[in-house]
Amino acid sequence: MSEPFYKPRFLRLFTGLVYLYLFIPILIVIVFSFNSQKSLQVMEGLSFRWYTEFFNDPTLMDSLLTSVQIALLTMVISTIVGTALAIGLVRAHSGTSKGFNILMLIPLITPEIVAGISALLIFSQLGIGLSIWTIVIAHITFSISYVTIVVRGRLASIGVEVEEAAQDLGASKWESVRLVLIPALWPAIVAAGLLVFALSFDDFVLSFFTTGEDAQPLPVRIWSMIRFGVSPTINAVGTLMMVVSISAVALAVLIPRLFGRRESGVKVLTGAEE
Amino acid sequence: MDPALDRGEGLSSKRFWDWFIFPGGIWIALLFAIPLFLVLALSFGHVDDFGRGVYGFSMDNYKDVFDSTYVPVLVRSVGYALATVILCLLVGYPVAYFIARFGGKYRYVLLAALVIPFFVNYLVRTYAWVALLADQGLVNNLLVDWGLTQEPIQMINTPFAVIGGLVYGYIIFMILPLYGSIERMDPSVVEAGKDLYGSPLQTFLHVTLPATQAGILAGCVLVFLPAVGDFVSAQLLGGPDTYMVGNLIQDQFFAASNWPFGSALTVVMMLFLAVWMVFYLRRASKGEAEVL
Repeated sequence: MSEPFYKPRFLRLFTGLVYLYLFIPILIVIVFSFNSQKSLQVMEGLSFRWYTEFFNDPTLMDSLLTSVQIALLTMVISTIVGTALAIGLVRAHSGTSKGFNILMLIPLITPEIVAGISALLIFSQLGIGLSIWTIVIAHITFSISYVTIVVRGRLASIGVEVEEAAQDLGASKWESVRLVLIPALWPAIVAAGLLVFALSFDDFVLSFFTTGEDAQPLPVRIWSMIRFGVSPTINAVGTLMMVVSISAVALAVLIPRLFGRRESGVKVLTGAEE
Repeated sequence: MDPALDRGEGLSSKRFWDWFIFPGGIWIALLFAIPLFLVLALSFGHVDDFGRGVYGFSMDNYKDVFDSTYVPVLVRSVGYALATVILCLLVGYPVAYFIARFGGKYRYVLLAALVIPFFVNYLVRTYAWVALLADQGLVNNLLVDWGLTQEPIQMINTPFAVIGGLVYGYIIFMILPLYGSIERMDPSVVEAGKDLYGSPLQTFLHVTLPATQAGILAGCVLVFLPAVGDFVSAQLLGGPDTYMVGNLIQDQFFAASNWPFGSALTVVMMLFLAVWMVFYLRRASKGEAEVL
């Protein structure tokens, strides 16, 4: 009554329609991936035909393997570097942290095509041939920023008191980071890593600009498949990719909750004390 | 400043925390910031006889960008992106409002459900729309079957399809910051508006909207920036008449193989975006805007 949006009934209907709009295309992909015929309009019958086709296609399997390798390497490296960056940005009170605080945000808001072209130019300038490694390097660059944001959020809720206590008990600064801060941040670090895995696994634009002749990741392969015309195999590939990235994201959400009770830095500290 | 940090660690400890910053900071500087300047440098260059980009000092590429062929594409890109922002805001605000105010204990479930489609590959999602909207696609088949139309309606290769694809791709960047700011808003200010005999519309315009301004601004910027540079939606759901600057740029780096001209197009696009980026960075670094 007090606002046009007050009545939940209208809002509920509207929200429901928006959820339909968001999910219908995805459901179509999933349903038609099990179609026994080539049609994308009529479900003829259930079959795993397109999945069999996918698993028997050596180039597609190659791309799947490439995508997983890229996502894993990106995850490991950017999680380490990004966590360190988050810790440094929050704890340092120097001019350095101010500058890098802003620099770190830029990759997140730059259109991907610009990041892709920049990466392509620096690699060609340095004479580095495009390969799986150039893709990994390009992915790490934006992933560092993601990890930093996620870990920094958690870090903000952990006071310096715990580290101070550790240092009062004779720990060096480095030990207080290794034995107190990192264990307290662990759930956020794992979550950030899984998030980055999903983002890297799904990324198309950056990969598109940094992929060489061989070892094309899955999204780049899908791009050329779509441009050749509609193929039901894409539905199967799309559904499988969905399973991979949504599992990663679901784990990213669940893991900090599982640790929810145990992540208090004090407990970790007493544990490390023994 | 911080007594714990200055205590008993020797002089080296003053820089202790900076060492955590350097690996990531230098990585981003070397592989992100410096390459941006390479793009700028190459935009003044030209193509040699072998089709390779060569650095130089000429404005020719910029003259070409502002040629009558390309200006409409630039205008169209900004227009499509603005339309996308407005649609995302109009659709996203009620959804964010509903989840934040009436979601109750299902709030996180609703949010999670919202985020799931975003983690389906963007190409696959856009491709799903191609299958839905094609002349022989599901939507047209239904319309014909139900007798709503005799002939299939052309939906693909229209600006509507391209903008629809962009909205579908980026609406999550609008809803999440909106949700954050609506959730943090104190409901009692709405009560106050009511107490002052504000009409529902007045209360919304003068109380709720200003109180959630940070989320609105962040959402608009976060949708606008990627939408301007997008080339997937226009490529798959549109045709040459709906190409955006992203398609032009992509072309210069692949089919046309004119990297200096592609760089100039990129620089011009970034100039369009710079104002928005600076505005967002200033607010985000002061903690006034939602980061994501």
